[in-house]
Amino acid sequence: MARRGGAGDGHRASATLSRVSPGSLYTCRTHTHNICMVSDFFYPNMGGVESHIYQLSQCLIERGHKVIIVTHAYGNRKGIRYLTNGLKVYYLPLKVMYNQSTATTLFHSLPLLRYIFVRERVTIIHSHSSFSAMAHDALFHAKTMGLQTVFTDHSLFGFADVSSVLTNKLLTVSLCDTNHIICVSYTSKENTVLRAALNPEIVSVIPNAVDPTDFTPDPFRRHDSITIVVVSRLVYRKGIDLLSGIIPELCQKYPDLNFIIGGEGPKRIVLEEVRERYQLHDRVRLLGALEHKDVRNVLVQGHIFLNTSLTEAFCMAIVEAASCGLQVVSTRVGGIPEVLPENLIILCEPSVKSLCEGLERAIFQLKSGTLPAPENIHNIVKTFYTWRNVAERTEKVYDRVSVEAVLPMDKRLDRLISHCGPVTGYIFALLAVFNFLFLIFLRWMTPDSIIDVAVDATGPRSAWTNNCSHSKRGSENNEISETR
Amino acid sequence: MCAQPVTNTKEVKWQKVLYERQPFPDNYVDRRFLEELRKNIHARKYQYWAVVFESSVVIQQLCSVCVFVVIWWYMDEGLLAPHWLFGTGLASSLIGYVLFDLIDGGEGRKKSGQTRWADLKSALVFITFTYGFSPVLKTLTESVSTDTIYAMSVFMLLGHLIFFDYGANAAIVSSTLSLNMAIFASVCLASRLPRSLHAFIMVTFAIQIFALWPMLQKKLKACTPRSYVGVTLLFAFSALGGLLSISAVGAILFALLLMSISCLCPFYLIRLQLFKENIHGPWDEAEIKEDLSRFLS
Repeated sequence: MARRGGAGDGHRASATLSRVSPGSLYTCRTHTHNICMVSDFFYPNMGGVESHIYQLSQCLIERGHKVIIVTHAYGNRKGIRYLTNGLKVYYLPLKVMYNQSTATTLFHSLPLLRYIFVRERVTIIHSHSSFSAMAHDALFHAKTMGLQTVFTDHSLFGFADVSSVLTNKLLTVSLCDTNHIICVSYTSKENTVLRAALNPEIVSVIPNAVDPTDFTPDPFRRHDSITIVVVSRLVYRKGIDLLSGIIPELCQKYPDLNFIIGGEGPKRIVLEEVRERYQLHDRVRLLGALEHKDVRNVLVQGHIFLNTSLTEAFCMAIVEAASCGLQVVSTRVGGIPEVLPENLIILCEPSVKSLCEGLERAIFQLKSGTLPAPENIHNIVKTFYTWRNVAERTEKVYDRVSVEAVLPMDKRLDRLISHCGPVTGYIFALLAVFNFLFLIFLRWMTPDSIIDVAVDATGPRSAWTNNCSHSKRGSENNEISETR
Repeated sequence: MCAQPVTNTKEVKWQKVLYERQPFPDNYVDRRFLEELRKNIHARKYQYWAVVFESSVVIQQLCSVCVFVVIWWYMDEGLLAPHWLFGTGLASSLIGYVLFDLIDGGEGRKKSGQTRWADLKSALVFITFTYGFSPVLKTLTESVSTDTIYAMSVFMLLGHLIFFDYGANAAIVSSTLSLNMAIFASVCLASRLPRSLHAFIMVTFAIQIFALWPMLQKKLKACTPRSYVGVTLLFAFSALGGLLSISAVGAILFALLLMSISCLCPFYLIRLQLFKENIHGPWDEAEIKEDLSRFLS
């Protein structure tokens, strides 16, 4: 049962990764880690963070590490599930507050998380996304329990408004005693270092990756007339307002130009109004929400990919599009200039005029036939970002972190007070003390020694491969006994 | 990761790109780290006297409230005849009306398309209705204790000052709410006056000072800044004079308040600019500067 659900969730990843037989690589490694990924965002929710956690975990399992994932319950998906290659996912029954992020009290999740950390013999906690309250909670508890901590930041944040001032303060508190931080681009690193007042030496840059085998070009499916593809959520931050200005401007100039727009969101109404106003129903197609597996089929229909984002830490979409052999036109914001080399991307300022100029340049190149063939673009791009490379580099971070000392309680309090400002520092130092006392109480209630040790599905003593090879029933029994 | 041999760092220059495997550890910090950081690019340089000039809007509004309360006190004490106030108010309104068109040579009127006939109509409708309903206004709050009325008026006038549109672009600004609060306060206070004629004239006066006077001020400030400063000073002194005739301590406190707002606050604003540290960089969310509504109109 669990396996079926798992295969459904990780549809695109499992297809490619199952080719690798688990455990084929780890024999040569001497040092393996027990890693626990924590984030509010995981399948069945879809997005960049979700697929990042999944793919990274799969590659780490492939390298012989034990990996488990902890997230909150999604609807009736609660308890323990196994995904491809025995990746164990805990769906914890915590209340969701806003945007799939759980409510936090800093304390209520300690009993559950401690139980998991102990029974899984976790050594490294790897939290993802600064929007996830659960990730910060886990960091807080892990430090109290004396575990190593790693945090990956997936997003950029400004400094100007009140909400960012508050969240940046909380991030400072959360990261001031975290062992290592990973960012997805150099711009994101600069941003995180400034936001959380960190030493840049403990921040590594490891980009995201895409699976190049999922995004292959198919020139025969391209339309005859020039087609511009946009795939993004239709929200303000993705610059959909700019798109609503570009469409009429270019459609009037080029009568043979078409737009395909995939994605859903509150700004869809703006695009529909534009389409209505200029009578472009046959030339602007709005596809609505796309499943991730359909993205490639949409991308290969076009010649040019347009990204109008106003802020972006890494932007997977343009890599996916380039991997499908499209010419990419994008705004020059955030980490986007770092992602693709200049000959594969046309960078524009975030204005209708500049983006139209960039698109016209791409159209001109397309008409004159100076654009490289899709297959060639794909062959260049596929070498850039791979999950195996990401896992390798993340592993180095784990290796480094595992030999570092976790701050003892007194030093941690000193760090909080000296690093986070007089008011916030003292408040969170007090909370850290409460958390510590709570932990002592929990240890007295249920000592670590009487908590069962979980059967390792992945890692050096992986039970998964044996179970798998015998029968599917075995894994089901395993899962039932686990959830009990 | 640090242990990784960095052999050819000297020859190979670090690039801020992700697609190339570079011979640097992942946590490498280059000299170019944070080179695109900019500070205070949108910070404005303030001139002391310009800020003092701008603060006059606040002064004017404080004085309006002060004058209104003083006039109400005189009426309440029976020292000011309602006919006299009505006459003066009507005369000054007419002068203001003429001035309002004279200052910008009737351009504002052309733009809005408002005819004089329409002005006259709305004035007449307002006066008739207020006059007709003044007995109701008079008895409206009879069952409410006078202390409650005073407390309510104080809160409403404070609210008027807080929400008034001083020209700042903030979420809290709401000129409708501000005007409504002022009128509510005036109705409250008017209901404590001896007769319904008093109440009618008090509400009319409130409209003049809280609705019409700021409109004229705005135009004065935009077209003839010099005369605006003169008017503000005159208005402030008359408000102070009025207050002095009631309470010396109040007048002194009010004078101190006005002084601190017009002189001390601008000084602090400029001093605190030194501590401003606003960070900008490539991670900022881009702003759409164009007007995109033209595509939909």
